[in-house]
Amino acid sequence: MKFDKDSLYKLGKLSKIQIDESKLKSLSSDLGSIIEFIDRLKSIDTENVDPTSNSLDQSLVMREDIASDVNTANEILENAPQKELDFFSVPKVIE
Amino acid sequence: MISGWELVIGIEIHAQVKSKSKLFSSSSTEFGSGPNSQVSLVDAAMPGMLPVINKFCVEQAVRSGIGLNAQINKKSIFDRKNYFYQDLPQGYQISQFKDPIVGNGFIEIETDGQSKKVGIERLHLEQDAGKSLHDQDPNLTFVDLNRSGIALMEIVSMPDMKSPEEAVEYVKKVRSILRYLDTCDGNMEQGSLRADVNVSVNKPGDDLGTRCEIKNLNSFKYIHSAIIYEAKRQIKLIESGENIIQETRLYNIDSGETRSMRSKEDAHDYRYFPDPDLLPLILEDNWIKKIRSSIPELPDQKKERFIREYSLSEYDSSVIVSDKSTSDYYEKVVKDRNPKLVTTWVTSELFSVLNKKNLSIDESPISPNHLGELIDNIDSGKISSRQAKEIFEEMCETGESANNIINEKGLSQISDEGELEKLVDNVISSNPENVEKYKNGKDKLFGFFVGEAMKLSKGKANPKVLNELLKSKLNT
Repeated sequence: MKFDKDSLYKLGKLSKIQIDESKLKSLSSDLGSIIEFIDRLKSIDTENVDPTSNSLDQSLVMREDIASDVNTANEILENAPQKELDFFSVPKVIE
Repeated sequence: MISGWELVIGIEIHAQVKSKSKLFSSSSTEFGSGPNSQVSLVDAAMPGMLPVINKFCVEQAVRSGIGLNAQINKKSIFDRKNYFYQDLPQGYQISQFKDPIVGNGFIEIETDGQSKKVGIERLHLEQDAGKSLHDQDPNLTFVDLNRSGIALMEIVSMPDMKSPEEAVEYVKKVRSILRYLDTCDGNMEQGSLRADVNVSVNKPGDDLGTRCEIKNLNSFKYIHSAIIYEAKRQIKLIESGENIIQETRLYNIDSGETRSMRSKEDAHDYRYFPDPDLLPLILEDNWIKKIRSSIPELPDQKKERFIREYSLSEYDSSVIVSDKSTSDYYEKVVKDRNPKLVTTWVTSELFSVLNKKNLSIDESPISPNHLGELIDNIDSGKISSRQAKEIFEEMCETGESANNIINEKGLSQISDEGELEKLVDNVISSNPENVEKYKNGKDKLFGFFVGEAMKLSKGKANPKVLNELLKSKLNT
């Protein structure tokens, strides 16, 4: 199965990834084979099985509502490629 | 609203849970701190960080669900809602899609004295995003992640509202219920409660029209005017033969117009899937039962009780219970007092002062105890209602108690008949001509005698006793 060109471009756009024309063929066949692999699941009869969101038979463990600020602005911004006055800064986004 | 057209409105409310820490991390949720000062490695989506859910937030969602007369789902699932935006470091928002924590419910709203049910489709828990500042630099957008990861309850209504007034009443009622439950502070200015409004128009009898969603309305006024603008815009388009495109729009508070958010054209493909970092959330029956038993009296019940216990009118009762702080205040004052007097003083005098000074009832310059004391003095006849108004004004300015002001100024009313009789005799003997005229039928002069006696008493005479005394003396 092949992943068609339109779906590939749409996925790229949603993920903010630029897709190079020259990679189109190989990407489409790679993604196609991944989807083909996953599609094998469709052959299993799940008529009477509840949708499974997690394979562990456990429930979420909850924590108490206690606020503790362990990270400072400096630490959080340490790896930011660009920062300004304790803000992350990014190229202007126009709504 | 616009003749020949029907409006259909559905509303999504985002209500911030009143928790100390975030939904999946321990960062503080306090409002107004310095940029990026309340961000943990989880909120900043550093690689390898895992979310751990806040029990308090889950409890508040259940409480809110109960308050909205809704079904509580014992099993709910967290999903990833994928989209790309600079204030969403994870690249997805953790939300609930197919299996929300709260299902169908309803609330009652009232417009023009008419009561109506509005259906609740669901309530789910989700993370808030960070905040983008576009106006700080000509070439850059600034991002503050303090809000990133704060717990929100998204409350989705059925499309049951037919007018902007109903829409506003719906949001007011949900806000009031959440404030009674203390699950959300309802502060719209700070963004703790905001509404996305879906609007469509159609001709009576026709199918529903295509809807547009107006995002992020944070005041009742904006909700009202955005709906009117949007409905008119859609009607104009349809009447000129064009089609409505289903889209997300922004309301401009300065121009009162809505405009399309171009960037959202692809965003509706969110590719939801269950978050593999989070197991299903399973609630124990006992826990839900415990929460259910801790639900306080809610506005509708309180309204009925106030009508029953304090003989309030429907209207006065609605006004007083609509805000929890106001009803708490009222109830403190009314305890063991004359409800009619208390209602008048709270709804007219106190409200007008608060309005004028633009204060909430929590910031009232007059405490419930002080207002109660003032009312006691009116009720016992110690002061006249005119004097009470003066004292009230002074209480607002100085914060002094009514008793202190009365004592200080010697303001208490003279009700003693013996003392008033002397005054009356004095007035009668010093105005023989007018007494003569009065007795000859010029009964309008009665006011003159009252005025004279009042003057002599320096305004302290109890008007009721004074009137009776004057009447009996002059008519013999």
